[in-house]
Amino acid sequence: MAVAMEEAGDLEFSGCNSNSTMDDDNGCGWTDWSPVIDWGPLSADDEFRGLIESMMCDDNDNDDDDEPTGLAPHTSFDPYWNSNPSSTTTSVGTPPVQEPSNGGAGVEDEKGLRLVHLLMGAAEALAGPHECRELARVILVRLNELVSPAGATCGGGGTTMERLAVHFTDALQGLLDGSSSAAAGGGRQSASHRDDHTGDVLAAFQLLQDMSPYVKFGHFTANQAILEAVAADRRVHIVDYDIAEGVQWASLMQAFVSREDGPQPPHLRITAVTRGGGGGVRGVQETGRRLAAFASSIGLPFAFGQCRLDADERFRPGGVKVVKGEAVVANCVLQPPQGAGTRREAGSVASFLSGAAALGARVVAVVEEEEEGLEGEGDFVGRFMGELHRYSAVWDSLDAGFPIQGLARGMVERVILGPRIAGAVGRAYRGIGEGGWGEWMVGRGFGRVGISCFNHCQARLLLGLFNDGYRVEEDGPNKLVLAWKSQRLTSASIWSPPPPPPPFTDVLLPVPAVSNGMEDSYFFLD
Amino acid sequence: MTLEEGPDSDQTTYHHQHHHLLDWLEDSISFIPSFLDDPYSNTESIAGYEWWTQDQDQANLLQTAPSTTPIAVPPATTTTTITQSLPQPEFSKKRKLPTSPITPNKVAAHGNQRRTGPDASNEGNGKFEEDGDIPQKPASGRKGQGKGNGGNSGSGNKEVRWAEHLLNPCATAIEAANPSRVQHLLYVLDELASPSGDANHRLAAYGLRTLTHHLSSTRIAAAVNVPTRGGGLADDSPCFVSTEPKLFRSALIKFHDVSPWFALPNSLANASILQALTLDSNQRPRPLHLHVVDIGVSHGVQWPTLLEALTRRQGGAPALVRLTVAGAAAPPGPFSAAPPGYDFSSHLLRYAKSIDLNLRIDQADSLAPRSLSLASGEILVVCAQFRMGHGGPDDRMAFLQSVRELNPDLVVLSEVDGGRAGDGDGSFPAEFGRRAELLWRFLDSTSAAFKGRDCAERRVVEGEAARVLEGRGVAEGRERWRERMVGLGFWDEGFGEEAVEAARALLRKYDGNWEMRPAEAAVGLWWKGQPVSFCSLWKPHTGRQ
Repeated sequence: MAVAMEEAGDLEFSGCNSNSTMDDDNGCGWTDWSPVIDWGPLSADDEFRGLIESMMCDDNDNDDDDEPTGLAPHTSFDPYWNSNPSSTTTSVGTPPVQEPSNGGAGVEDEKGLRLVHLLMGAAEALAGPHECRELARVILVRLNELVSPAGATCGGGGTTMERLAVHFTDALQGLLDGSSSAAAGGGRQSASHRDDHTGDVLAAFQLLQDMSPYVKFGHFTANQAILEAVAADRRVHIVDYDIAEGVQWASLMQAFVSREDGPQPPHLRITAVTRGGGGGVRGVQETGRRLAAFASSIGLPFAFGQCRLDADERFRPGGVKVVKGEAVVANCVLQPPQGAGTRREAGSVASFLSGAAALGARVVAVVEEEEEGLEGEGDFVGRFMGELHRYSAVWDSLDAGFPIQGLARGMVERVILGPRIAGAVGRAYRGIGEGGWGEWMVGRGFGRVGISCFNHCQARLLLGLFNDGYRVEEDGPNKLVLAWKSQRLTSASIWSPPPPPPPFTDVLLPVPAVSNGMEDSYFFLD
Repeated sequence: MTLEEGPDSDQTTYHHQHHHLLDWLEDSISFIPSFLDDPYSNTESIAGYEWWTQDQDQANLLQTAPSTTPIAVPPATTTTTITQSLPQPEFSKKRKLPTSPITPNKVAAHGNQRRTGPDASNEGNGKFEEDGDIPQKPASGRKGQGKGNGGNSGSGNKEVRWAEHLLNPCATAIEAANPSRVQHLLYVLDELASPSGDANHRLAAYGLRTLTHHLSSTRIAAAVNVPTRGGGLADDSPCFVSTEPKLFRSALIKFHDVSPWFALPNSLANASILQALTLDSNQRPRPLHLHVVDIGVSHGVQWPTLLEALTRRQGGAPALVRLTVAGAAAPPGPFSAAPPGYDFSSHLLRYAKSIDLNLRIDQADSLAPRSLSLASGEILVVCAQFRMGHGGPDDRMAFLQSVRELNPDLVVLSEVDGGRAGDGDGSFPAEFGRRAELLWRFLDSTSAAFKGRDCAERRVVEGEAARVLEGRGVAEGRERWRERMVGLGFWDEGFGEEAVEAARALLRKYDGNWEMRPAEAAVGLWWKGQPVSFCSLWKPHTGRQ
C-alpha cells in the first residue's frame, strides 16, 4: 500500500520543466505563489463588449425573454445588460456601432464588428426560427477566412476580437459538424492539442494565474474556508470532484504548514474522484505523485487516493474510505469543459454533492463559472451572445494584465480558454445553463457557511495584485463572486451538508453491487 | 459507349449552330442555320439525345443501382468533390455549385425520368461531361461538374438557399423599422455577398444592393450604418444598358446557347408563328404577307431561325415578312433595354437578303394601329414576351387592351410565372421575397448553364436579371394573365404537336433540371421542379379561327 516517497520524488514537475519556450521562470513549480506584479497600464477597451451588449439587448427586446419566470428565482444573476438602462436605449434610435475610439484603430474596430455580426449570424443559423445549417456553414467558412488561427493561437498576433472569434468560431463549427469533440468541450484546436503534456496545461494554468485572479480566486476562497473549517483537526480528508492538475492543493498544503502560532500541520489525505478510462486515471495518478512530492518537500504528512465514478458517472460515497476521526471536506471546482456539459455530467455533480452529505463532510466548497442562462430558458442566440460577452470580459481582463502578443497569452488561450469556450457554447446550444448549483443545494437542505471576513479580505487583497477592473461581489453570506467590471466571471460558495440521510436512499445514488473504487496506489508520507 | 455515334453527330450540329449564330451577328454574311433542322425536320436526331437524359438521374442511379462499370466513375467523383468542397471558401474563382448530395430533387428527377422514356439504357453515365461541353468552346474547361450536377441542390430544398435566409428577414426588419436588426443582417450579408461566388453569394450581392437602396428611402436610414466592405456590388455593375455592344451581343448569344430561359419560349413562339402561317395561308389571298410585332427581350436573336424556316416552308416563303419592333410600347423592365449603339436591324436585313427573303423592319413607339402601319390582308402576330409584368396592374390591362384592338391573328404571350395569384400581401417583404426567389432560380440555373464559370457574359446577363428585384410591379401567376386575356375576348390556343416536340428536343440540349410542363393550353418552363415561365397562344374571338 505504501509507496516510498523517493520513488514519487523522481517524478517531479517534468512537464513544467519542458516548457522551455517561456522566457520567465514560470515552469518551476508551485513554490512561487505570489502573482507577478508587473501589470501594464490599463488598456482595456470595452468596444466590443459594448456592441455585444447592445445586440443582446435588442435581441431580448424582441424575444421578450427577460421577463422573470417562476423558474428563475435567482434573478440577481441576470446579465447586467438587461438591467443597464444606457445599453437598453442604444438599440432604439442610435446605431449600436461605435465610433473608432483610438485613432488609427478604426480598421480593426470595423473588423471586430464584422466578426461579432458573423458570429451572431452563425448562431442564429444554427438554431431557432432562422435556422439554416447551410447558412451557418457558409458563415463559418467566412469567419475562418477572417480570423487567422495561426496568428491567434500561437500568440503571434490578431486583435482581441479576432483571437476571441477564433475560439467561438471553432465552437460553432463543432456544433455544426456535430463532432463529439465539441460536445466534450474541445474545438478544432483543442482537439489537436488533446495530447498536450499535462505539463503544458500546468504551465498554462500557472500563466493564467499570473495573468489574472481568475483561477486563484476560486482556489483561495475555497481553501481559506477549508482551513477555517478544519482548523483544529489532526487529520483532514479532502474529497475532490475534479482534481485536474491539483494546482489548488499545493497552496492549501503551503497554508497548512505556514500557519503561524497555529497547530501542527495535520495529516492531509486527498481522494480524487476520477472518471473511468485509463487516461484519466493515469493523469490523476500523475497529479498524486506531484502532490506527494510537493508535500514531501514542505514536510506535510500526505496520502493520496482515487475513487472512480461508476459507469454512469455517478459518485458512490461507499467508494471513499473514511477513517474515523478525520475531518472530511468535499471540494467541487466546476470549470468548463469539466463542468456540467451534459445532463449526464450534471447528474454526476449532483451525485457528488449528495454523496458529500452521505460522507458527513464538514464543509462543501463549490467553485463554478458564473454562466448566464437557465435550463431550457431563452434561446441559443441569447445564451451564445451571453457567452461571447462573458469571454470578451475575460479577454478584456487579460488584455489589462498581459501583453496580447505574448507566447504565454497565446498558450493560455489555446490550452485553457479555448476548450472552455467550446464547452460553454456547447452547453448554450443544448440549453443546459448551469444557473448555479446554489439553488439546487438549498433545495437539498445544504446550509450556507458564511464567508469569513478574513477570507473576503484575502480575496480583495488578491485582486489588489491585479488590475483595477476586477471586483469582488458578495452574493449572499456564503458566496463570493469575481467580476471583471460588471461582468461576473466565477464564484466560490461554501456549504454545510444536511445531516447524512439514511445510507444510500437518494434517488441520484443507485447503489451498484460492485464494491470499492479505491485505488491501491496510495502515497503515504508520515 | 456504343451510343457515341448519336452524340457525335449532334455535337457537330450544335457547333455549327453556335458558330453560325455568332457569324450572323458579327459578320452577317453567310448564315446557313441548322438550328431548325432538329426541331422541324430531323426528328431522328432527337433520338440521339435519349442517351444522356439518363444522366440527370445520376443521383438516383447512384443510390439505387450503382454501376460497377468504369463509366460510373464521373458521378462518383462528382459526389466526392462536393463533399470535400464543403468546408472550403466559396469566394475563390473556382466555385462549387450549391450542393446537397444527400437529397436530390425528387420532383426534377421525376420529370427527367418521364422524359427519358421507358427504353432508355443505363449507359452513358461517362459521357455526359462531354455532352455538357458541347455548347461551349472546348477550352471552357471541366471542373468535374456534370450536367445534372446543379440538380443536387434542388430549389425545393430551401435549406440550400441560405441567401434568402438573410435577405428576407432583412426586408422584414426594414419594413418593421428595426435598425439594429437591419444593421446586423446587412453586416452578415456584406460579408457573404460576392458577385462571382456561387448562386447564393450572388443572390446575396444583388439582394444586398436592393435592400440598401430601399433602406435609404426609409425613415430608419439614418440609424443604420451600411457596411462598406465592398464585397458586394458597385452601383455600376453590369447590366444591358451599360454594356459595351459587342459584349452585349455575345452575352445574348451565349445565354441563348446555354440556357433555355428565353430560348425555349422563343422556339415555341417561332414554331407557333410558322404553324399559324400554314393554317392561315390557305384562306388568304396571294401574295402572303406576315407581320410580326416584337415586344420582347430577344434583341433580334429570336428571328434568324424564324426567317430561315420561312424560306423552307412548304408553299414557299411569304412575299413579305414585316418585323415591327415595338418594345417601347411596354414599360421597361429587366432584359428590355439594349446598349446605345446596338442595332440588330441592319444585320437581320443583310441576313434576310442572303437567304433571299423579303424582310422589312420598322420601329414603333406604341401599339396604335397607325404607328404599326398595319396593312390589310397580312397575317398579324403579336409576340409579347417577358415585357408586360413590369408596370402596375393598370398598365398591364391597358397594354393587353391595345393588343386586343389590333385584332391580331395570333398573340404569343410569354411571362415569368410569379406563382399563384393572391400569394403574399403585396407588402415590400412579401414582394421582395418573391422576386428574390425568382432571381434565385435564375442565378441557380445560370450557374448550371455556365458550368459555374464566372465570365463577363454571365455577369451581364445576371446583372440585368437582378433588376427584377427593383421592379415595382407585383409578380403574377399564369392564371392571372389568363383571366385578363379571356376577359378581353381572347381564347387560348393549344400548341401544335410539332411545336411542343421541337421545344422538347431543344430542351434536351440544356441542363437536366429543366423541364417542360403543360399548363392547360400553355406550356410551362420549370427549373428544378419550380415554375419559371409560361408560354401561351391566344386568338381573338372575333378573328378568323
